[in-house]
Amino acid sequence: MREAQQNTLLLEASDGILAARAADGDVDAFEVLARRYGPLMRVFAAKLLGSDVESDDVVQEAFLTAWRQLDRLAEPRAVKSWLMRMVTNKAIDRMRVRKQHDDIDDYEPPARSSDNPERIIEMRMQLQALSTALTNLPDEQRQAWVLKELGGSSYGEIAETLGLPASTVRGLLVRARKTLMHEMEEWR
Amino acid sequence: MVDGVLVESIEEPDDLDGFTLDELSEYLDEGRTPINPAIEASPGCQMALSALERLKNVSWSMLEAEAHEAPERDNVWITGLLDNIRREIRAGRDIPLTSPDPDVRMILTEGSVRGLIRAACDQVDGVLIGRCVLAGDVTIPGEPIDVDVTASVAWGENLHQLARELRSIIRTALALHTELNVAAVNVTIEDIHTHNDGKAKEHS
Repeated sequence: MREAQQNTLLLEASDGILAARAADGDVDAFEVLARRYGPLMRVFAAKLLGSDVESDDVVQEAFLTAWRQLDRLAEPRAVKSWLMRMVTNKAIDRMRVRKQHDDIDDYEPPARSSDNPERIIEMRMQLQALSTALTNLPDEQRQAWVLKELGGSSYGEIAETLGLPASTVRGLLVRARKTLMHEMEEWR
Repeated sequence: MVDGVLVESIEEPDDLDGFTLDELSEYLDEGRTPINPAIEASPGCQMALSALERLKNVSWSMLEAEAHEAPERDNVWITGLLDNIRREIRAGRDIPLTSPDPDVRMILTEGSVRGLIRAACDQVDGVLIGRCVLAGDVTIPGEPIDVDVTASVAWGENLHQLARELRSIIRTALALHTELNVAAVNVTIEDIHTHNDGKAKEHS
């Protein structure tokens, strides 16, 4: 009874309390954080990578690093954005490796959500349209856009992350935004 | 097909009264402050702004919808993750214990003492401990140390009484299981959560 009550408290605890406990070595608190933000982070990584297959590994790596560095997080309340940065960095590392190996054609395109019949019913057309449009963007445009709009990165951060001049990033974003808006409005 | 026209207008910079989509996007990111009267007065800009806003909202909905689609998939990596981290529990500093045998060195880890404090305090109704810091040199026997904890407590509790109770529980637990010379126990109530949904105010 008491244990169940304590579990509920933990499940509903604030990010700050959970991050503080996890920093002190509480695995249960860390698990609550992983379940709270992990799924979102995994999908975010998939968008960034343009590939669904590696996203589980990337998000797991991000949480592993987070566990090791949590006691250095100055502001436990800000753990969500800290985790997002962590998963962004891990995804970027993957992209760099991929670039080095120059096997861009090697990766599998993300499993199309439309393959799942239940999903078609559940998901609004608009979300699907956006997802598809995003997948079809050129890599750099997609990455720049995901970092900016979903990751909340600044132009400077994106430029550094992608190893491109800020002016190029600006151009990539302009093109990505135009394409996505066009696709979205078609579905309205 | 108003929106069909909108798309055309977005691609035609002339209709944005001299502004670019890029500038409008930045304006939106900054929460439309400070207010730019020229943008706010331009019908073309207004349409582009609402299209940009829609795109942003739909993007987040997309991410959230897809995140909740594969719970079994998330279970797999989360289970793997937890298996991994259980193998690297952070021990922290070594806290000495008097040994009955001079040839045997006995220690407690700082991590286990923190765990002890958490477990003891979590026994109190509606209390969840956050950070637990042993301030001072715990590696020297008899050295006075402070214990600083943060806590989230249920809405409506008597905070003074609760803090007193927590202080006393921590002192008792440490006296029972360790030889630490505890000078002060400081309890900071960091969050208040409500009884009903248990949600702490900070997390919204």
